[in-house]
Amino acid sequence: MKIIEGYPDYMYESIKKVEETRPSRVGVIPKGMTLQEREEVLTKFHPDFMDGTRREVRFGPNKGELIYKGIVDLLEARPLIDPKKVDLDKVDYDVDVLIVGGGGAGTVAALFAHGSGVPVDRILITTKLRHGDANSMMAQGGIQSADRPEDSPSLHYLDIYGGGHFTNNPKLAKALALDSLKIMKWHEDLGVMYDREDDGNFLELSGGGTCRNRLHCAKDYTGMEIMRNIRDQARNLEIPVLEFAPVIEFIMDDSGTVSGAVVLNMETQDYCIIKAKAVILATGGDGRLHLEDYATTNHYGATGDGLIMSYHVGANLRDLDTMQIHPTGAAYPEAIVGFLCTEKIRGLGGQPVNKDGELFVFPLEPRDVESASFIRECRERKKGLVTPTGMPGVWLDTPMIDVIHGEGTIEKNLAAMVRQFKRVGIDMVKNPIFVYPTLHYQNGGVEINENCETAVPGLFAAGEVSGGVHGKNRLMGNSLLDYNVFGRRAGINVAEYITKRTVGKLTLSHVDKYNKTLDDLGIDTKRRAPIILPEYRGKEALARALDIL
Amino acid sequence: MAITEALGHKLIEMEKWNCCGVVASLTSDDLMHHLASIRNLIHVQDEGEDKVVVLCDMCTNTLKQTNLRVTESQDDLETLNEFMDKENEYKGNVTVIHFLEFLRDEVGFDVIKKKVKRPLKGLRIMPYYGCMLLRPAEVAIDDPEEPRILADLIKALGGEVVDTPYKIECCGSYHTIDQKDVTSKRAGKISTFGVDRGADCIMLSCPLCKYNLDTRGKEAESLIDGYHQIPVFYYTQLIALALGLDMEPLDLEGHAVDPIKILKERGIV
Amino acid sequence: MSENNNIEASQQETNDDEIKSGFYEIYVMGKRYKVPIGMTIMKAIEYAGYQFIRSCGCRAGFCGACSTVYRKEDEQKLNFALACQTLVEDGMYLVQIPFVPASKAKYDIDELKPEENTILSIYPEIARCVSCNTCTKSCPQDIDVMMYIQNALRGNIQKAAELSFDCIQCGMCAMRCPADIKHYHVGQLARRLCGKYLDEKSENLKVRLQEVLDGKYDKEIEELMTMDPDKVIEKYKSRSIEAAEEGKA
Repeated sequence: MKIIEGYPDYMYESIKKVEETRPSRVGVIPKGMTLQEREEVLTKFHPDFMDGTRREVRFGPNKGELIYKGIVDLLEARPLIDPKKVDLDKVDYDVDVLIVGGGGAGTVAALFAHGSGVPVDRILITTKLRHGDANSMMAQGGIQSADRPEDSPSLHYLDIYGGGHFTNNPKLAKALALDSLKIMKWHEDLGVMYDREDDGNFLELSGGGTCRNRLHCAKDYTGMEIMRNIRDQARNLEIPVLEFAPVIEFIMDDSGTVSGAVVLNMETQDYCIIKAKAVILATGGDGRLHLEDYATTNHYGATGDGLIMSYHVGANLRDLDTMQIHPTGAAYPEAIVGFLCTEKIRGLGGQPVNKDGELFVFPLEPRDVESASFIRECRERKKGLVTPTGMPGVWLDTPMIDVIHGEGTIEKNLAAMVRQFKRVGIDMVKNPIFVYPTLHYQNGGVEINENCETAVPGLFAAGEVSGGVHGKNRLMGNSLLDYNVFGRRAGINVAEYITKRTVGKLTLSHVDKYNKTLDDLGIDTKRRAPIILPEYRGKEALARALDIL
Repeated sequence: MAITEALGHKLIEMEKWNCCGVVASLTSDDLMHHLASIRNLIHVQDEGEDKVVVLCDMCTNTLKQTNLRVTESQDDLETLNEFMDKENEYKGNVTVIHFLEFLRDEVGFDVIKKKVKRPLKGLRIMPYYGCMLLRPAEVAIDDPEEPRILADLIKALGGEVVDTPYKIECCGSYHTIDQKDVTSKRAGKISTFGVDRGADCIMLSCPLCKYNLDTRGKEAESLIDGYHQIPVFYYTQLIALALGLDMEPLDLEGHAVDPIKILKERGIV
Repeated sequence: MSENNNIEASQQETNDDEIKSGFYEIYVMGKRYKVPIGMTIMKAIEYAGYQFIRSCGCRAGFCGACSTVYRKEDEQKLNFALACQTLVEDGMYLVQIPFVPASKAKYDIDELKPEENTILSIYPEIARCVSCNTCTKSCPQDIDVMMYIQNALRGNIQKAAELSFDCIQCGMCAMRCPADIKHYHVGQLARRLCGKYLDEKSENLKVRLQEVLDGKYDKEIEELMTMDPDKVIEKYKSRSIEAAEEGKA
């Protein structure tokens, strides 16, 4: 098999067809699907609707509900610690606010908690990897906010609610739409470099499921630009951060209030005890669980730890019978399978095209609908291609962008993507890229109210780990907004909450109770949770591994 | 640029340049500090040119010294080129001249004289050279002991020259940062010679000298009893005035010692 | 640890149909391993049996955790790359740099002014730049690092911000700089100053924010929240889609 311009010859032949049909596709916009058509394609092709992808939870607040198998397996797994072996009397850190997770939501929460009066030395962020190693850093497309005169927060609310298939908590959707303006102003004051028009107003693009163009971006590094800015702010304020220190279990007190956590130092393997008046959970997503064997766009530490630990203390989860697969994950070459190819590509005019060069779907349906159509195109209509390593996919006609907006548009607006593909030998300015849906976002999670409170006193949550904001499907540009809006609310509310709190006697009895529940149900497993890191070591090396040291 | 145009010549502004590093390597085995200069000469080469006109005295000195070093020593040139492995090689063919040299040698002071619209008649100007254009002798643009280039320029512009023995003394240079009183007193000494001989103002060519004589010179008024600093002009300001060019870019209001009063008194503005 | 799907490793093992099949030899901190062709450095190291704790973050080129220094067999030159973005080559001799102990200045962005000397006063060491360009050569993101430092030195905040924009703060520049400049922190300051003081502010945002604070949209949204579900669906269906109308899809 020859390689031509980075692609195997048979794929390159298909590219020729894409080139042939390009002139006829310029400016063509196929009709969007009706609600009924959307339902049809979802039901048949999206894992959220297929049989065998979810199973019933057997105990706890979500007993009887369907959740993705991979997650239920972890809910039914044994906790990592043995309470008898953990000494709660020696408290290593005594703080007011413990923030679990050093990504976007955690950092925003810390900044607003401090801004609401909590002294810096009474806040502690613990994070599994480094401060900023999070999905927040990787988001490319943009952040939604209804600031244009042609737009309104009510329209934004409708988009959020309809995009979520009308299952969102309306109060959370309202907060998202209205607070977005406060967040944009806060970002302007922090110095986030959003793309702007000549008159100073933001350059705003369209996104899947949005009825107005309201995606604000910073080239295609939007997530990174925001994250490194707020991280710089946190560092200037000297907010303490413990890195490589994942929380492995919450601690409660004798009144049933979450009061801290057991933290593992991943490098020295010892634990420490954190006592806190309030805990903000901001552990992000679960893409590295590779539910249903999908590749993922998520960062290394996205293993859904927060869901498990919250369930251990009795919090309820919602909408985990869904997972968001992003329609355009890279599918070729092998080295970058799963990588996010931002929706902005479609926002700028990159069309989804099958192996015969046909534009087969409206490019900006909400993500789940778009993903299901790609899967349908490959699976049922057999109009996709398969890479030499067995990965199915369709084309995303990137060269179309320069045709519409002029030469240099791709290089300027999609710099990160151009660079990524160049590194593996593909020129996305000249040739289309090959994509297939990839596991991207946890739509649901630990349920919160508009004050970020969970069902368990003392435990707050914000960001991707929380549930109810996006219902069963999130729109592009709302996750960056989510962590800012609710990180802010969590920080502000926690600052007030701690003034009325005194911590009682620390206990891990909930772990014993959890183990007993598993015993009573006869669940016998060697599996333990949370898993902390995914297992990627080569099978051959693992087969000969000895656990000696 | 406006002056160049008014004199009927053309200069192209460089697209890419970096700080010259100021003060070339003073020891024979330190090549590192020549990098910045060489890089600029490579930029000139990359733009397809072989001559660069430099506005700053210190940059001129640094670039000339580096240029001399690498054209005299093939070994040094090779070492530097090899270190800069991602950049084009410097071939050693770029000529570095100061704007004053350009005006004297390529335009000609007589040409300037013809184009003067507002001669600086009655203005008694003390030319001050400082160090960088005159030392070391290998890169000097004029006689290091008895330079005349600024004096000739003043005459071409119609002004009166006030010669002083301190015209080639150092202004104190970077001592202005942490020992500014030293530079203030220097300014006092240098300017006093001019004042005693009836100078209205000083004309110089180096931005650092101007800062030291103007700003630090003003501060000298509180250090030396009865001292008053005379205004300090950058040579291009006076050329522009004499050629009748737009006064706005000259920023005469930005001086520490007000220069406008004397210009008005002499009827130049 | 757990029984998760070994997705990424298993996909790498079926490389036999790939154009070049077989294995390369690489040296991880001097130890030799055979890894399949077509893998990134990161996946190759995992294939060899290492589980990353440090040196692994987003796995997609945005976070700068996996900075790698390597040399190719028979070559003497050191190269700099991100492990998650670079394919292995035969004879690659590599090490990872998980952390750079760079100092960062503490400042209050609200108190700074976007003046020419601002960056220099916060990071005075940038004046020590000798233009050696080592920083640019160490950057895995193809940024002209020396140029943005030079622009910061000149007080051109805008240009420094623009040129440094793609920086993922991996720290390789700071590690190699003979003048001990902390380039990525300087770039961050330039970008914040630019975004806060030099970029024009949005009039639309100002107006809309005030409307929201005045409660202008509260009633509308309350109505939508309490509306009959069928009516909401109708409202949703009847939205006009700007992108479809403009042909800007």
